[in-house]
Amino acid sequence: MKTIGLISANYRGEGFGDLTENRTLASLPYGGRYRLIDFALSNLANSGITTVGIIAPYDSGSLIDHIGIGNPWSLGRKNGGLFLMPGSLYGVQTGGNRFLIRDMLKNIKFFERDDADYVIISSSSDVYNMDYKTLIEAHSKSGRVMTLVYKKMPRGEDLKNKGYCLDIDETGKVTALKPEAFGWCNYFMDCCIVNREFMLTFLHWFGALEYMDMFDVVRDNLDTIDVGAFEFRGYFGKISSTADFLKVNQGMTDYDIRNEVFCNPDRLILTKTQDEAPVYYTPDSDVRNSTISAGCRIEGKVENSTIFRSVNIGKGASIRNSVIMMHCNIGEGAVLDNVICDKYVNINPGAKIYGSGGEDPVIIGKGSTI
Amino acid sequence: MKKKKCIAMLLAGGQGSRLGSLTSSIAKPAVSFGGKYRIIDFSLSNCVNSGIDTVGILVQYKPLILNKYVGTGESWDLAVADGGVSILPPFAGETGGEWYEGTADAIYHNIDFIDLYNPDNVLILSGDHIYKTDYNKMLKEHEANNADLTVSVIEVPIEEASRFGIMTADEEGNIVKFTEKPKNPDSNLASMGIYIFTWSSLRKALLEDHNDPQSEHDFGKNIIPKMLAEGKKLIVYRFEGYWRDVGTVDSYYECQMDLMDDMDSINVFTKDSRVFSNSNIYPPQYIGPEANIDKALISNGCTVYGAVDHSILGSGVVIGPGSVIEDSIILPNAIIGRDCHIKKAIINEGVTVDDRTDINDPDGKIVVYGTARLSV
Repeated sequence: MKTIGLISANYRGEGFGDLTENRTLASLPYGGRYRLIDFALSNLANSGITTVGIIAPYDSGSLIDHIGIGNPWSLGRKNGGLFLMPGSLYGVQTGGNRFLIRDMLKNIKFFERDDADYVIISSSSDVYNMDYKTLIEAHSKSGRVMTLVYKKMPRGEDLKNKGYCLDIDETGKVTALKPEAFGWCNYFMDCCIVNREFMLTFLHWFGALEYMDMFDVVRDNLDTIDVGAFEFRGYFGKISSTADFLKVNQGMTDYDIRNEVFCNPDRLILTKTQDEAPVYYTPDSDVRNSTISAGCRIEGKVENSTIFRSVNIGKGASIRNSVIMMHCNIGEGAVLDNVICDKYVNINPGAKIYGSGGEDPVIIGKGSTI
Repeated sequence: MKKKKCIAMLLAGGQGSRLGSLTSSIAKPAVSFGGKYRIIDFSLSNCVNSGIDTVGILVQYKPLILNKYVGTGESWDLAVADGGVSILPPFAGETGGEWYEGTADAIYHNIDFIDLYNPDNVLILSGDHIYKTDYNKMLKEHEANNADLTVSVIEVPIEEASRFGIMTADEEGNIVKFTEKPKNPDSNLASMGIYIFTWSSLRKALLEDHNDPQSEHDFGKNIIPKMLAEGKKLIVYRFEGYWRDVGTVDSYYECQMDLMDDMDSINVFTKDSRVFSNSNIYPPQYIGPEANIDKALISNGCTVYGAVDHSILGSGVVIGPGSVIEDSIILPNAIIGRDCHIKKAIINEGVTVDDRTDINDPDGKIVVYGTARLSV
């Protein structure tokens, strides 16, 4: 049951303000030392998948810089390995589409030249740690051509920024993809496994609809396409807004989430290493319930926050409920609450910045000085 | 193969028995240091920061973790096509195999390796030194003086000189006498065990030394006295800066405390002459709601619920709730349970310390706790 992986990274987020102005969601820094695409890549790599294609965003500089030849995910290989495939300009323009048929057609050789039985297709911006081997097994047993992965979620509000809920009948067949839901729903995780040969047929059938999202086409053709569903029971961090971004970052301080997603020795989330020094805490530091990354120097107070690599936090500074990305410098006595600092931000000594209670964090753009 | 100006040979085969249980299952150069580093990182980083792109690492004693850690050398930018890192263990030939019988013997057995690169000079390094330097300065002096051998020396207090190999040099820096651990030292220039040899001179000396049945095949004891007696040009290079041999538990402990307490010692935080390491991909560290960190160096992957005061935590260490860690070094992946009190101790790699354990020597000596359980 040979399986290859395809990650779609050719989309932007809406509702992230400055954070995604010059980067795709896939390369949004997350969790102290990661980029969002690390989860998609690590899930594939940790499930033994050694051929992975990435539909790169049209403007892919930051992504290519991060992924390189795929060594952290053991994808720098002769047999298979990493295939970075150019996505179209439309990926950065269309609202909410993540799996443009156009991008797959353009790179149809990825599907053609491999002899794999299955392809796992996933988004590049969702936070979860999943062993795809169980998915592959279930899909193989089901005899269907495609299986969608879903998570039971309590509310429909996460459907903003385009998402689907699945209606599933008693045989396990997906009967509808709905753009809205109330109460508990089977939230589609933008991840599926599909028979490789069917994928070629699919692209052949629907090539004329190349401007559409693959799953919109699936939605409209459920009577002809035999689609099953697979429930994922682990943690699923969906990032659809800056408030989500703050919330999912803070999720890392939760004991269970940290253990499940980040500290599973069999399935570590892999990323490019920067090889920074250990964190240096001075006697003035006071850190509680926070995630701190290598290379930092902490002299101030940090609470309920995520601090990325090589951040300096000056004496008497106080950081609460915030995300501080790499290479920021927080001056002495500065106070930040509900703030997201992009990379290379300088906060002057004594500055005080307050966002509102987690719903609407203040975002400080890359490289600014305040 | 391109001819090289200088290649490095790093002696990493010794047992390091003075480090006790720290080296019971791991070669000394691979012992954890400063949280996320291993001792060998400092020498390897010095090489790459000096533009030396060919390094032979001579291994013998329990090399498993060392081999695994060095890997292709990629972490030190030493995965280069024409050179790079080569692990050189003892090997068998037509007439059987032999262990490396001394520092010079280890190099003798790898003459073929050095000949592959046909270098002008060979830099001999120890795998258990903590320092930062640019070997080019030493190489420049070596070449400017047309020396056969340049020995890196450091000034030590004269009253401590009898613990070292002491070089006596004339005003031009020519070595006139070498005494191993002299009772009445007439110089305070201690050999650091860092040598640059002109390869042709070293090659000849090694071949002759190999055939000398009286020789212990040691650089300090045999090669240097022999070259001195033959009237070869031996000079000293005066090293300035921070340098420590971490061959004993005390020096291993103190040097790491220096790293935390004294930015002028071995600064791993600056971007110039960076110290590289083969970093594991651990998640960032998590500091719990009741944690209390005073001065500390904490590595990736740590989870801290207790109190940490003036201590160093290696990658993946867990400090349980209610535990207090003082003046201690917790090596990677050690798990400290609840309500422990650890003072002035080194907890070995991967060791689990049960709840409510007190580790503290009543006489204030450094305690080395547990036997390493290694993982990669």
